[in-house]
Amino acid sequence: MNVKKLVLGAAAIAALAAFPLASGNPYYIHLVETIMIYAIVLFGLDIVVGYTGQVSLGHAGLFGIGAYTAGVLILKLDAPVYVTLPAALAVTAAFGAVLALPALRVTGPYLAMVTLAFGTIVQILINEMTFLTEGPMGITLTKPSLFGHALDETEFYWLVLALLIASLVFVDRVLRSQLGRAFEALRGSPVASDCMGVSVYRYKVYAFVISAALAGLAGSLYAYSEQYISPNTYNFELTVMFLLAVIMGGRKTRTGALLGATIIVLLPKLLDDLQMFRTGAVVLAVIVVASVAVGLKRGKLTKQAAAIPVVGSIALAAVSFKLETMTDWRLSIFGLITLFVVYYLQDGIVGFVRNALNLKTKHERDTTAAKATALTRASGQGQGGNDGELLKANGVLMQFGGLKALNNVDLVVQRGSIHGLIGPNGSGKSTMMNVLTGIYQPTAGSVLFAGTSVTGRTSSDIALSGIARTFQNVQLFGEMTALQNVLVGLHHSFKSNLIDIALHLPRYLREDREQRARAHALLEFVGLESLASEEARNLPYGKQRLLEIARALALDPQLLLLDEPAAGLTAPDIKELLEIIRKIRGAGVTVILIEHHMDVVMSLCDRVSVLDFGQKIAEGLPAEVQANEKVIEAYLGGQAV
Amino acid sequence: MQILTQLVFSGIALGMIYAVIAFGYQLTFATSDTLNFGQGDALMLGALVGLTLVGLGVNYWLMIPLVCLFGAVQGAVVERIGVRPALKIKSEFGWIMSTIALGIIFKNVAENVWGRDDLKFPSPLPESPMKFLGANVLPMEILVIVGAVGMMLAVEVFNRKSIYGKAVVATFNDRDAAKLMGINTGLVITFSYALSSLSAAFAGVLIAPLTLTGATMGAVLGLKAFAVAIIGGLTSGMGIILGGIILGVAETTTGFYLSTGYKDVPGLVLLLIVLAVKPAGLFGKTAIKKV
Repeated sequence: MNVKKLVLGAAAIAALAAFPLASGNPYYIHLVETIMIYAIVLFGLDIVVGYTGQVSLGHAGLFGIGAYTAGVLILKLDAPVYVTLPAALAVTAAFGAVLALPALRVTGPYLAMVTLAFGTIVQILINEMTFLTEGPMGITLTKPSLFGHALDETEFYWLVLALLIASLVFVDRVLRSQLGRAFEALRGSPVASDCMGVSVYRYKVYAFVISAALAGLAGSLYAYSEQYISPNTYNFELTVMFLLAVIMGGRKTRTGALLGATIIVLLPKLLDDLQMFRTGAVVLAVIVVASVAVGLKRGKLTKQAAAIPVVGSIALAAVSFKLETMTDWRLSIFGLITLFVVYYLQDGIVGFVRNALNLKTKHERDTTAAKATALTRASGQGQGGNDGELLKANGVLMQFGGLKALNNVDLVVQRGSIHGLIGPNGSGKSTMMNVLTGIYQPTAGSVLFAGTSVTGRTSSDIALSGIARTFQNVQLFGEMTALQNVLVGLHHSFKSNLIDIALHLPRYLREDREQRARAHALLEFVGLESLASEEARNLPYGKQRLLEIARALALDPQLLLLDEPAAGLTAPDIKELLEIIRKIRGAGVTVILIEHHMDVVMSLCDRVSVLDFGQKIAEGLPAEVQANEKVIEAYLGGQAV
Repeated sequence: MQILTQLVFSGIALGMIYAVIAFGYQLTFATSDTLNFGQGDALMLGALVGLTLVGLGVNYWLMIPLVCLFGAVQGAVVERIGVRPALKIKSEFGWIMSTIALGIIFKNVAENVWGRDDLKFPSPLPESPMKFLGANVLPMEILVIVGAVGMMLAVEVFNRKSIYGKAVVATFNDRDAAKLMGINTGLVITFSYALSSLSAAFAGVLIAPLTLTGATMGAVLGLKAFAVAIIGGLTSGMGIILGGIILGVAETTTGFYLSTGYKDVPGLVLLLIVLAVKPAGLFGKTAIKKV
């Protein structure tokens, strides 16, 4: 851990802890308390929004469930705080799992609507289930007592602070672990996640459950803090405020969440002060006009693009002098801020500051003390020897509507060989890959891998059983570094659970160290060691292809499917690639190679199968296939007879 | 039995409103794969503007085209401010958030202009029920059904028969190819938003005499209409009418037999279930995702 950061953090905590003593004003203490409670929600929301990239409009509902779990337990059972907080956490986590169910099937706008519907239902139920929740009347409660001592405002503040720090450490550790990488991978490319053995289903549920649990914890604290809860607090506006806070503060940073929480709590208070708002609006208009003028001069902006913010901010300033009272227009202001943030401040305040100061996003520290071997001998190799059949596809039929993308294709791949799969564009090669990795379920036919059937199993399950792949159109996790990409491939070798991660128990620390070393070794194997901490999306195309291979190898596969690895590579790069593929086979990994570069195919492959219009038209040694008339006809067209 | 027939009939009328709003979702989804999360607020604005016009002495029937015009302009504004910039930067999160933000702004403005209380919308038709199959049916309910179906048919005919409609359909099928064929896809998308808000505003003035009018009327309507759009399938033309009827009837019967407080629940639960089980909708086709 960075010493400077540690000192800074300790100072911030000390300042926060001393705040109630220094200020002594219960109003301010309560304000800061609210900020801390919201921050806990935002840590959780950021997992869903920032890391897995889903829009959740249900977090106000989850927050409400937490508050009401605590409220009802106190009302009906007079439960103490060490019961209510864990109960709120658990109940809300369960609801989070329920919310995740539709999230498994849908994403984007659908999910936004689903979560919105969820939030609305929660609000209706709280309102209507009067026998439990007292309905619109609300529930009044008192501050909790701990060990027989009733906490006063300041002491409760410290409790919230302690839980804030605990949540912060927990979330930070989770997000830096393999779980966090899995969440981020979902956002980068769901298909690739599945093919790396990181089940999209499972990790989406995890993300929602952890996120919900934090919202529940915060909700219960909120109930104690306000000492009164009523259904209308947990409405659509609150949910939008939470989202606004996450994107305004900055996705994927804890500082951003804290900042966002501060803004959404303080902003309404500032708006209450009309004079302050007017000044603010004028300052904003001046800043916008000035920056647009600079932008126009440098030719970075078109007049049209510049018009909207200029007109908008001037209008806002003009309106602010017209208005008698601000409170009625609070929501419009929030709406405008949201629009502004969405289009002009996409990386949030934290991202903006980082950009402005040219600070690079800091990626995890890189310490490679231990040396690891890139390729472990393929497992299971000993049993079957070198000449068994590793993969056997029988009569595979893949039908899309009336089109038979694959028509009764048989494919047998010998263990330890490099098997070429060639054919003109649209002949069904990539479809075959997708059938083998479970992305498509074949209409008919069977696929046996190492003696067990592949059909009907999920992609991640197949991946874990030993089939790894690369993609024709590169599917890397763009916002993650090269090293992290490979670490996602290594996900299967992490055995540590949430508790290991949260408490940094030796098991997790050891695994983390080992797998990092392994990831570095894999990067070295494909020659990307020097680019380990570069974001994948910034790599040149050829390097991205190599990174995909490294990531696939991280799965310790028995069978590696390479989909056009040489596409877009320069001649020297191709030579390097040939070397790499030979080494992979040398380590006992069987390879299926789809490629259009015939020299690559001919120099590498032990056997070649040729597809055309979904049918296998030839198979044999490279030289045989090269001489086959049908193959020549497929590639060059039939002779005009 | 008589009560049930009556509930079914009001359910159908309500369902038609959902169908019209859902139709609006389909229109924008068709051209740009985007949805206006403020669709309910477009409906609310339509109803309130209509109310003001009627209050100014404009005849109800004359007011309808004016409200439609207003809706079209409002939709175009939403597209320009909220959707187009997001499409340009290919940000899904962007248009979701900005249409939500615009919806909030519209609602807040309406609250400040028309007040927070629900208002009564004068009915253009006699309010005494007629007898139909032994049930009491409001003439307004019949108008709603006729108007809603007429609206949707008109747009369908436009899309199928006119060259402009072909442009809309082409944009739906392949936005980039349509652009290369000389279709101004940006304009088509703006147009689809205008049409979408127009139908919402139209639905607003149809439903307003049957319910109360106010700034908060839109939010839940918009959400339930989305449920209808999903049940019907976002890409399936007439599935929404059936979806609307299912939801409308489910709602009126729940409201009567259980409690009006719960009347919104079946629609939302249906939405969750359909999306969890068959996201393409009951009548939609599942798209094959290419890798």
